[in-house]
This record gives sequence, C-alpha cells and structure tokens, in this order.
Amino acid sequence: MKNRLRILRAERDWSQADLADRLEVSRQSVNAIETGKFDPSLPLAFKLARLFNSPIESIFTDETE
Amino acid sequence: MLCYPATKAGRRYTYRLAPTMAVYLLFLFIAQWSFHHLHPTGLIVYVLAVLPALPLIGSLVVVGLYIAEESDEFERSVLIQSMLWGFGGALAISTIWSFLEDFAQAPHISAFYVYVLFWIFMAISQPFIRRRYQ
Repeated sequence: MKNRLRILRAERDWSQADLADRLEVSRQSVNAIETGKFDPSLPLAFKLARLFNSPIESIFTDETE
Repeated sequence: MLCYPATKAGRRYTYRLAPTMAVYLLFLFIAQWSFHHLHPTGLIVYVLAVLPALPLIGSLVVVGLYIAEESDEFERSVLIQSMLWGFGGALAISTIWSFLEDFAQAPHISAFYVYVLFWIFMAISQPFIRRRYQ
C-alpha cells in the first residue's frame, strides 16, 4: 500500500529509527511499511495517524481505487 | 532470529531459548550416562528416554510465547512465515527420505532430525523473508 510516511518523516526530520522508537516497533518494520511492502494493521495505522496528527486516508493510499 | 533481537519480546525469546537448550544438553548427558552406566530397566527406561525431548518441546513453547508476546506485527509476521518454511521444509525432506528408505535402501535416520530440520529451514528462510520487505 502506497503511503506518505517518508515525506511525513522528512518534514519532522525523523529517521526511520526515530519513528520506530515512537511506534515501539523495529526499524525494519518502519522500512517495510514505508516501502509499501508490509501493510500495517488498523491499530498501527491509527497509531501512525495520531503520531502525525493526520487522518489515515491522508497517509495511506488505497491503490484499488 | 539470527542477529540481536530488535524487540523486547525478541530478547525474552533469546533469554528463554538459551537456558532451554542448556537444559537439553544436561538431560541428554543424564540420559546417555544413565543408559551407559546404570543399565536401567522397566518404567525408568521410558522416563530417561523421553527426558531430553522435554526441553526440546519446551523450545517450541518458547516460540509460541514469542508469537503471543510480540507486539511488533512485522517481526511476528516474519517469524510465523519462517516457521511455515521450517514446518514445510522439515516435512518435505522427512517425507522424501522415508520413501528413499522404503524403496531405495537409503540408511535409516532418526525421526529426531525432523526437529533439527525445522530449525535449519526456519533459520535459513528468515533473511530471505526479510529481504522481500526491503
């Protein structure tokens, strides 16, 4: 699933490790989500939304639409 | 888990697995020493024979605990996928080997090695699974 995580992260000058710490996941998890190869669960997606203060649909793009 | 675990659950998994393997070595030594020196008979034979298997079963419980405790869904997914490779690989090789034993006079190999194959396939598959997500 495509997403804007890299951009949102860059806006805050956070590394993947910084974001991983805030989400309490591994850096590899952040990388896998960011590259669109691993789709996060709804709870993790909501956590990301809260962290970036943005709605889920503005972070993730449903490619089937 | 080939490198230092990235999560708390991963570290607990390592801290639990290491003593489990140490207990296995101890129980294996006790069983071998007893059969060699004490020549047990009766029920004690079965108890001693099963003794080394108990920590190995414990190691599978440790894996189960890790899956239950791991809050990082990506890490959990990688481990579960590697377990499927472990189960699949071990079953595939042991099935092939059993037919080789039946029809091609291949030497008999202890069923214990199914357990070993499970871990080998599980360990080998993990870096390949992780690479898919990079």
